[in-house]
Amino acid sequence: MNKTVLIVGVVIVAVVVFVLFAGLGKDPSIIDSPLIGKPAPPFALKAVGSGETVDLTALRGKPVILNFWATWCGPCYEEHPTLVANARNLPNVQFVGVVFNDDEDKIMRFLAQRGTAYPTLLDTNGKTAIAYGVGGVPETYFINPAGTIVAKYAGPLSTEELQANLAKALR
Amino acid sequence: MIATFFLLALLQIKVPDAAQIIGPPAGTPITGAQLERRTMEISSELRCPVCQGLAIGDSPSIMAANMKAQVRELLERGYTETQILSYFEKSYGQFVLLKPKFQGVNALVWILPVLALAIGFILVMSKAKKLESAPAKAPVAEEPIDDPYLARVREMVDKP
Repeated sequence: MNKTVLIVGVVIVAVVVFVLFAGLGKDPSIIDSPLIGKPAPPFALKAVGSGETVDLTALRGKPVILNFWATWCGPCYEEHPTLVANARNLPNVQFVGVVFNDDEDKIMRFLAQRGTAYPTLLDTNGKTAIAYGVGGVPETYFINPAGTIVAKYAGPLSTEELQANLAKALR
Repeated sequence: MIATFFLLALLQIKVPDAAQIIGPPAGTPITGAQLERRTMEISSELRCPVCQGLAIGDSPSIMAANMKAQVRELLERGYTETQILSYFEKSYGQFVLLKPKFQGVNALVWILPVLALAIGFILVMSKAKKLESAPAKAPVAEEPIDDPYLARVREMVDKP
């Protein structure tokens, strides 16, 4: 009986330790998106500065890199030059920035100081971010020419990570 | 809400709508105190994605406030609790549900505590049964007392 109890105890402890270690190795801010392989939720939002409306469905036919960011987000400052440089080098890819919970004046100042190469849209009530399951900024969604989300990246992108995820949209 | 709708229409702004994701409302629209109460109840079931284990109803973050506003709006439009939870689950996955569903690996969260309790109960019961059936030990015989002081005390105690 004592031997059985010992074996059961060791098995339970081993399972708990394994689960804890597996969980500790994960970044809690990275959530697997259930939207991968699903159509990108459609939206038409006002562009900062020009005031024009950009409709996602009108961008079908070319891959879209949809980046959620904000001026109050530190890593977004780090990521911005990478996005702008890649947008200039990849004319066949449509880059779109979506800013939520931010002030338009602050965004315009940010873009004026750091430059831009693609439209930045205002998500005033955060509904677009919620529909995409945004858990923090920056977060980037890669949409293929058919309008399907093929990848999600949480955190500031490097050129290598951007191109690796973009390759999924070009397959 | 109507004013927001007209403003958005004027600007030709279109945000992803719940109807495209979860279909038309299956319940009846609610307002007033009932709306506030139901908003809080459903908000306590949804995890704030930018916090550590906090419900959107308890979080001061902007993201949680946006999600709570969305819950309120959906209730106002007549969406049911199941539909609202499903709406958030479709974009954030089961992670967003503070009460995991009884399916897949998540079922273990419900099964394991009950299983652990059952195993513990069985172990305790079998141990108790064994103790009960074990022959009672013979009472320990009193040792002869050599100490004259103790002998005197015993004599005094035993004396009627």
